[in-house]
Order: sequence, then structure tokens, then C-alpha cells
Amino acid sequence: MKRLWLSMIIALTATLFMIYQNGVFAEKTKTRAAKEEKNSEAEQKLNAKPAEVVTAPTIQIDKTSLNNGGTITVTGTAPAGKPVYVEIWTDRKVRTSFFDSKRDKESGKIPYILYMTNEMPAHYVIYTPKEQKGNIERIKEKGKNWSYSKALKDTGADIAYSVPAKIKIDRYQATLWKSIIGSRGSLLPQMDEKGNKKRSMQLIKARFRNPDKVLVPTVEVSTDGTYTARVTIEKGSSPGAYYITAVADKNIRSQHVTIENNINFPNIYLSNAGTSLNFLGPFILTLVIAIFGVLMGAGGGFIMNPLLVSLWPLPHTIVAGTVMPTVLFSQASGIYNYSKIKFINWRLGIGIGLAMVAGGFIGPKLTELITLDQFKFVFGWILPILAALMFWQTTPGYIKKNKKEQSILKEFKKRAEEAAKIKAQEGKRL
Amino acid sequence: MRVEFWGQEFKINIVLGCLGGFFIAVVSSMFGFGGGPFMVPLMTVGLGLPMYVVIGSSLLAIFFNTLMGTIRHYQFGNFDMIFFLIMFPAAIVGGFIAPQIAKRVSPIVVKRIAAIGLILLALNLLGVY
Repeated sequence: MKRLWLSMIIALTATLFMIYQNGVFAEKTKTRAAKEEKNSEAEQKLNAKPAEVVTAPTIQIDKTSLNNGGTITVTGTAPAGKPVYVEIWTDRKVRTSFFDSKRDKESGKIPYILYMTNEMPAHYVIYTPKEQKGNIERIKEKGKNWSYSKALKDTGADIAYSVPAKIKIDRYQATLWKSIIGSRGSLLPQMDEKGNKKRSMQLIKARFRNPDKVLVPTVEVSTDGTYTARVTIEKGSSPGAYYITAVADKNIRSQHVTIENNINFPNIYLSNAGTSLNFLGPFILTLVIAIFGVLMGAGGGFIMNPLLVSLWPLPHTIVAGTVMPTVLFSQASGIYNYSKIKFINWRLGIGIGLAMVAGGFIGPKLTELITLDQFKFVFGWILPILAALMFWQTTPGYIKKNKKEQSILKEFKKRAEEAAKIKAQEGKRL
Repeated sequence: MRVEFWGQEFKINIVLGCLGGFFIAVVSSMFGFGGGPFMVPLMTVGLGLPMYVVIGSSLLAIFFNTLMGTIRHYQFGNFDMIFFLIMFPAAIVGGFIAPQIAKRVSPIVVKRIAAIGLILLALNLLGVY
């Protein structure tokens, strides 16, 4: 009973901490918005000159703040006869990586380069004219093998692609040996502007996965140049400032307007994952899976990981890295309990444990090198094996053997308790 | 290697145990699960140890892997503190509720249901439906 209370206290403290964190986030966004106003003023001055040559589009929005996502109507006037694209991004940044292991067509070599950025916008969409709907449908039909750079060209949205092109991208040359010793590889020199832009597009695909997440055909342009666009920020997007700008051609873009997205408790923003979610969702899921895991005698991680990446837009690297430590505590307490009744053979456990330490050193690095689809695919094959093991444990032969061993186990436990008693009595005598 | 357990002695092939443990550790830390359900068959079927020797010692071996995997994931920045603080209390509370429920349900039924559920989840992940 004492332990139950202890766990309740831990749960309560964690919740309080989350609420506290949430408050801190809200404050940060306010100051950032204030700063942004100054910036946009400065930008206005800069933009004033080219505006004399070609009239840049104007832009207005019907709201200035949203509560956990919503739809905004963007209106304005662009030079007549030009298509209008609307670019929206947030200054919340998340880490994204992409491992290039595709054979290069020209040199015939596999590059094995890991591209990684810490500056990927948590939300980035280009809204295209309505006429591009057919094009986007065609891109979607390609399934997982779609290319973002080709999609931008096909829809003409490449003229609007600007913000992610400038993110700082690190690249690491991975080798088999470097992977074995658990290093990301050697850092290669910075790419030029063009190379950076090309790789940023691949990172966009790695982060947002689906074409309809980054290209949305909702901009309606009239013949006189006025346009309206419905811009939707989905539930679960990052909190903070979002910037919207209208683009009519290369270098003909409006100033940006700012909209604030507020996230309130129980929704919480996970800054490393770049997603905000109602914390009750993962909480209840973990609770149920943890109970089920104990009942079936297998770690819940097998079920947790694939479910988390399927139910929420979370990167698999973060999911794998965060689920793992949650079992540390229960494992440690299990070891303590077994060691009290002398049920651990330390030589055996440490012997195999050392081999597992080496494995645990290498594994987490490999998580970065696979895509989410590969992550799901591997789980798709591991789970049937686990199901077979589960089923094997319910076959009559196994149960019979298990019963015999359980009775031996009980006998040993009894002996252990008696030994402990005798020891205690001896202690008293002394 | 000789393994002594409560006066009984077992001879095992430690090379096989280490190789299997290493492989399980790579995969489990890569995909973020514990690895227990694979370690137990490895040590019972592969090394021929009885269940009562395996349960405690396999947990110890897995703990090494989980600890190392956690440190490495943290080093690579693949860890979200708030996400952890959501799941961790739930996992602990679940660990205390589970034994209460375990008294009332048959483990065989739970395992059979789990097997079906796992197959369904796997088919979903492979995009069959």
C-alpha cells in the first residue's frame, strides 16, 4: 500500500511539472511575438525597394490567434494573371534526420550519408492554387516513393519554397566501422546554398511524410488578382507564432503576417517530437499496456512503440528513446526483489549482460538510419514472432513443464525465506 | 561456463548466450523495447536452463541493455522529457494495478488473446488492412 501512495505522489509531481512547463511555454511565445513585430518592421523597410518595381502581393488574415489549431482565411491582392502560393511556417524548430542510402545514378555508389538538422520548422505547408489539385492527387498515387522536390516543380510551388532552404544541415559520412563503434560518422563540410536546398527538401519529406501534409490546394485566385486561401493549422500542431506569406513569383512575395497558436492544458507540446497532444492519450495507453504487459508476462514496449507511432505523429526515434527508460525503474525493482531471495545468478546475468551492453551501445544509433516505414515494417515481423512465443506458452506441454518448475520455484522461495529467518534469529542471539 | 543455482549445477554454452544476447540487445535498443520475451526462450531453449534460473538472471542481463540503450538514446537527443513524464507514472501505476487483476484472470486466456491482438497489430503495420 505504501508503494501505491509513493507511485501516486510521483504521478502527481510529474503532472504538476508538466503544467508548470506549459506555463513557461506560453510566456516564451509572447515575448517571441513581441520581438517578431520589430523584425517585421525592419523587413518592411527592406522590402520597400523591390516593391516599387513589381507590386508585391498584399496579405490579410481574419484572425490573429488560434486555440489548438483552426482554420484561417487569408485574403489579398496579387499582380493579375499570376498564380498565388501561400507559405506558412512556424519558428518552433524540431530535429529531423534523413539517411541517404540510395545508389547514386551517376556514380553508381551508395553515399551512406546521414543528413541532420535541428532547425526544421515544426509546421511547414505551401498552399497552392486550386488548379493544382489534380497534380497533388497524382503525387499521392505514387505512395511512399514520392519526391518533394519533384512535387514542388510539378505544382509550381518551388517559387514559394524559401524558409526550410536556409536551415543549417549537418551531414555525417557513415561507415560500417563507425556504426559498430556507435558513432554517427565524420562530419562533412557544409554544403553550398543549392545543395542545402536540395537536402532540405528530403528532410521535409522525412519530417512530414505525406504529400498532402505539405502541399494543399486551397488558394482561389480571381482574374483581377485578388485571392483567398483557407489555411488550416491542425490540432496537435506546435504552439507559438506562425508566419504566413503570399508568393506570386520568385522574389515577389508579400510581407509575412503572424498568427499565434495557443495550446492549453491538457494539451502539451513535446518540443523534441514537434507535436502537441492531449497528455491523457499516451497516459491511458501506457497504463493499459503496462497492465496488459504484466498479465501476459512480456514487456509492453513491443505494443507501445508501434501504437505510439501509429496513433500520433511522433518520430520513431523519439518514441524508441523515450519508451525505453520507462521500464528502467520496474526492471531495477525486479532485480532488487529477486536478489533479496537470492534468485539471481550474478555470473550468468553479468556475463550475458556485458554482451547486451555492447548491443545496447550500437542499437540506438541505428534507429536514426531507418525511416518510420521501415520501423513499422520491422515491428510487423517481430510481433508475429512474439505472438507465436505467447501461443507456445499456452500449449499443454509448456504448461506442464512450467507447473513443475513453478513448484520447484516455490520450494526455493520457501527455503530462502527460512534461511532469512534463521539468519535473523542468529542476529538476535549475537 | 558452469552456473550454480541453489546447489544445482548447470553447464551452459556462454558463447551462444552472449551472441544471442548481443543480437537481441541491438534489435531491442534500436526499436526501444525490453527484449525479455526473447531472452527467456534464448536462455531456456538455447542454453537449456530451467525457468527458475532464468527469470532473475535474464532480468539482470536486460537491465544492462536498457540502461545502456537509454544513455545512448539520450546522447543522440532522441528523448523527450515531457513525453517521458507522461508515460513513466502511467507505467508505474499500471505495475501496481496489474497484480490485482492478475489474481482474477487466467494467464492462458490472456496470452491467447494477446497472441491474436499482436497478429492483428502486425497485419496493420504491414499494411495488409
